[in-house]
Amino acid sequence: MSALAPILGDYRLSAPAMTPQPVRHVKGVPGPENFEQIVDDYQRRLYGFALRMTGNREDAEEIVQDSFVRAYRALAKMDSQQRAELRLQPWLYTITLNVTRNRLRSKRPTNVALDSLADPDALLNETQEGPDQPEAIVDRAADMVLVEQALLQLPMHLRAAATLRFIEGRSHPEIAEILNQPIGTVKSHVHRAVRILRRILGPQVGRIVAESSTNEEED
Amino acid sequence: MRCCDVERLWDDMRDALQPHREAVIKHLRACPPCQALYEQYEGIAYCLTCLPPPVPPATLVPKIIEHIRSAVKATVPDSVAKVHSPIGLLFVAFRESGITYVALDRGEGDEAAFQRIKVRLGRSVVPSTAPAWVSETIAAFFRNHTSDLERVDISDLTPFEQATLRATAQIPAGEVRSYGWVAAAIGQPNAARAVGGVMARNPVPLLYPCHRVVDCEGRLHNYEYGVEVKARILELEGCSSYKR
Repeated sequence: MSALAPILGDYRLSAPAMTPQPVRHVKGVPGPENFEQIVDDYQRRLYGFALRMTGNREDAEEIVQDSFVRAYRALAKMDSQQRAELRLQPWLYTITLNVTRNRLRSKRPTNVALDSLADPDALLNETQEGPDQPEAIVDRAADMVLVEQALLQLPMHLRAAATLRFIEGRSHPEIAEILNQPIGTVKSHVHRAVRILRRILGPQVGRIVAESSTNEEED
Repeated sequence: MRCCDVERLWDDMRDALQPHREAVIKHLRACPPCQALYEQYEGIAYCLTCLPPPVPPATLVPKIIEHIRSAVKATVPDSVAKVHSPIGLLFVAFRESGITYVALDRGEGDEAAFQRIKVRLGRSVVPSTAPAWVSETIAAFFRNHTSDLERVDISDLTPFEQATLRATAQIPAGEVRSYGWVAAAIGQPNAARAVGGVMARNPVPLLYPCHRVVDCEGRLHNYEYGVEVKARILELEGCSSYKR
């Protein structure tokens, strides 16, 4: 089956891109009182984002810790109206991105792809109930490492745009808010990121897609 | 619509409300190169969405909370109150979490005393009057020679320092123990000298009774408040088994 088939009919997204896991939202106005809840709600998401941005688990952990400390301090200084008007999720992304930038800037040249992020154990667990054969699972994990490494080769601003768009599943206006850029700039960054990824991954893309659609058909 | 326009609109086409949708689809039907390109872009988006979501370590949340706690602590000043005692005027620093520092007046004046405490604590201090629980904790020490350690906050110290001070609290009033005894009590029998170092840095003398620790021959060594005061406290506790 061609991945393009949906385009020629009624165009729709062939990948489950725009269905990020729902975040259980903090009840009430965010503030120091319910900050532990905020940490609990967002740590997973921000850790994932920081890890995709840095490719390094230790960096990601420290980035998330620093980001929450900054967020806490900033919230503590806000008055009640500012807190009520705060759009928590994009704001937390922005802080995490700033901390990431500062950290990577002081750490250049970036150690690209030293860690293999795709955890083969996790993949095994995820697919345990599926019909995958063990060698298919190993291939799959290797493919995911390829994709991760390609992402880490992008310049940081393009990596941020692509990660927010395709992995975090954010809309263009949301990304514009997070990155504090006009929507047109966001779109152009996303586009450039995809063009570069296409150049890096080349024919691998078709193979990965074909293999996953084979697996889906077997389901 | 030209090929370059169609290419640029790819990501927009993922949103249902794209106004050029019809025109783009019409172009794609007639243009195999653009079809191939869309297929590749779509494949890349697909690959990215397939990346397994990273799972943070279970220790991350407690680490974050601890990080925030220490960051907050560094910005909230300790209160310092003057409390009278049988050995003289004490400056007692405290926070909501407990007493953090006990200094004996050296006659240097309030300003200098506050400055000394500020430097020792590594954060700012504000003059205050002693709340009832603070004066009662100090009074209880001189009355019963024991302290409610729930009201003393030594969380700034290293785990070794905390363990050492807790061991001193096991020494009954009226008795003394050696540095070596404390070292053995915390399971590090070779750490007698390190124990001596912790005693010298004890931020809360009296409440954690480092004055009950002497050398292996029973001699008193230095004391934050001076050896004379150390002897005086031991006498108040009814202890005579030490040497000057």
